[in-house]
Order: sequence, then structure tokens, then C-alpha cells
Amino acid sequence: MSGPSMLPTLAASGEVVVEDRLSLRLNPASLARGDLIVVRSPIDPTAIVCKRVIGLPGDVVCVDPTGLKAPSTEHVLVPKGHVWICGDNMTHSRDSRDYGPVPIALIRSKLFARVLPLKDRIIFRNPMRVLD
Amino acid sequence: MRPSVLHRQNRPWHNLVAPFKPLTKSSWSYIYWFPTVFVVSYYFYNIKIVSGRSMQPTLNPDSSLWRDVGLFNRYAIHTKLEFKRGDIVALRSPEDPTRVLVKRIVALAGDRVTTLPPYPDPVILVPQGKAWIEGDEPFHSDDSNRFGPVPLSLIESRLVAVVWPPSRFGHLYRPTSVDQDTSTPHKHSAYRLAMAELERQRWRNNRVTVVPRSLP
Repeated sequence: MSGPSMLPTLAASGEVVVEDRLSLRLNPASLARGDLIVVRSPIDPTAIVCKRVIGLPGDVVCVDPTGLKAPSTEHVLVPKGHVWICGDNMTHSRDSRDYGPVPIALIRSKLFARVLPLKDRIIFRNPMRVLD
Repeated sequence: MRPSVLHRQNRPWHNLVAPFKPLTKSSWSYIYWFPTVFVVSYYFYNIKIVSGRSMQPTLNPDSSLWRDVGLFNRYAIHTKLEFKRGDIVALRSPEDPTRVLVKRIVALAGDRVTTLPPYPDPVILVPQGKAWIEGDEPFHSDDSNRFGPVPLSLIESRLVAVVWPPSRFGHLYRPTSVDQDTSTPHKHSAYRLAMAELERQRWRNNRVTVVPRSLP
């Protein structure tokens, strides 16, 4: 892993994570809001990025609650076959706020666990809670 | 007791494996060849059947009874990342991740394209890392005129040649010029088809303005 866009969940460098390629192939419907996913970059065919799924197709997503890249009142409808992804470190992340919704076909895998450094080993769970 | 009776009956796990034995014997060759076939089809070349009208008359013309079967090159896209205008490529649909589309790359990042209906803007500048793809048959085609420029990462492989039906073997006409052979009568059908293909290519290329990019 490298890059500060997923702090504090993932450190900027020096971590080794395990990705799970099989569960999305076997059950594509298991993609949920709040999952950490690895995606082939929509703006660079050689790069892969790791972000969190915020919106599934059909959701209305607030583009940027921090107001950095778009006014915080702006909302967007995620089109069919696309997801809205966002880095956990919203101040230093290039994600759907910059390049728009990402086609689901570009998703490579889900992040399963962090293995190194050993003191921080953890299996990633989906932290999303629905507020009524 | 006879040694042969001892042989079978004193190994209880034989009863569990026995029903599967004929299966593994015949499918051993499948298991043996699977890694090779997988690596060749994922990293080098694979075969796809092209269905639909969106690439007519280049692929699946009405004159043919069969759907075209094409040989696709994965190495050029996956490893070399060679994207050229005018290539017919197979890509995952941005609208439906389970569908594979076969279309032509008309423009790459930085080019200006005059779009066709139903695209809302008349002219578009293709953003970085994306490509403008179109089917050769604009009316029946599910392409960038509907969903906009597609990321280059969605493109999977490039069409090399048509392998079936035999009468259309190799048919990927790339007319850059037409032989000005004055001895051949101009009513010859091959000449007419070649001229038609050239006309279509010119029409496609006229709608794309390649903005010259300064070299670093």
C-alpha cells in the first residue's frame, strides 16, 4: 500500500494487505456501501487504487461533505453499473469527487485483511451503520 | 486369505474414492491443460464470438449466416498497453459489468470528437485516461455516444482477425488507400466494398480532431 489517501485506516506506506478477489466474482451482489475495494484507476490504465465504496448504483450521494472540491450541497445520482468511491482521508484523496462514478467492471477485489506490520494486523470489517 | 482380498477390503477409504475414480481418470487431461489454456487466453490470445449488429458491416454483416468468431489479442492491451485509433477492441460495458462490447476506438485522450445523437454535447474533448469508442453501425450501437468516453482500463483485448466463417477469414479491412488499377472494371464488387470501407473510415476520422501534443 502506498499513499496517504486512506489514513487513518491504512498508513501512507509500509503496510502489506491481503485482497480478496474471489468473493466479488462469486457473488457480485455482495458489494456493500462501506467496503474497502481495490479498483483499476479510471484515469490511468496502469494504476490501481484502494478506496471505500460510498454509493451503489441508484444512490444519491453528497459529492463532497467537506466542501473542498464541490459545494457541500451538491448531490449526484450514481448511474447504473457504477459506484461512488471515496478515500478515508478526504483532504488528500483523488477519488470519485475528481473523476466521477467508477464503473463496477473496474473493481478488482475487496480488501480482506492487513498482515504487516504485525502489531496492526486486522481483518477489515464493514464499519457502515445506517442512521434512521 | 488371498492377498487380493486383503488388498481391497482392508483400506476403507477406497470406498469413498471409488465412485470418483472414473471422473478423475477422464478429466485428468482437463486439469492438466487448464493452467496453460488459462494463461494463454488471459495473457496472450483468446477467441470470442461477436454477436449483434453494432459493428456492421465490418463484423456480422447481413450477408453472413454465421456470427463472426474473432481472435483477440490480450498481450497488446494488458501488457503493452497499446491503444490506437481505429482498433476494434473488446471492452467491459460501463453500464453492465457482465457484458463485453466489441467496438472501435475512434479517439483517444486529448482529441476533440464531433458526437452523434443521443450525446448531449455536439463536440467533446476526450479526458485523460479515457477513449471514445463507437460501433461501425451508429444506429444499432451501444457506445460512447450513449455513455460518454470510457476509461482505458475497461478495454480488455484487441481484435486481430476473424477466424470463422471460413469465407470471412481474416476480414479486417484496413484501407489506407485503394489500388488505382485502371485495368479492373470499376463495377467489380471488391472495389466497391473497398471504396465503401474507405468512405466510412474517412467519415469517422473527419469527426475526430487529433490535437497535436507537445512532446516532453
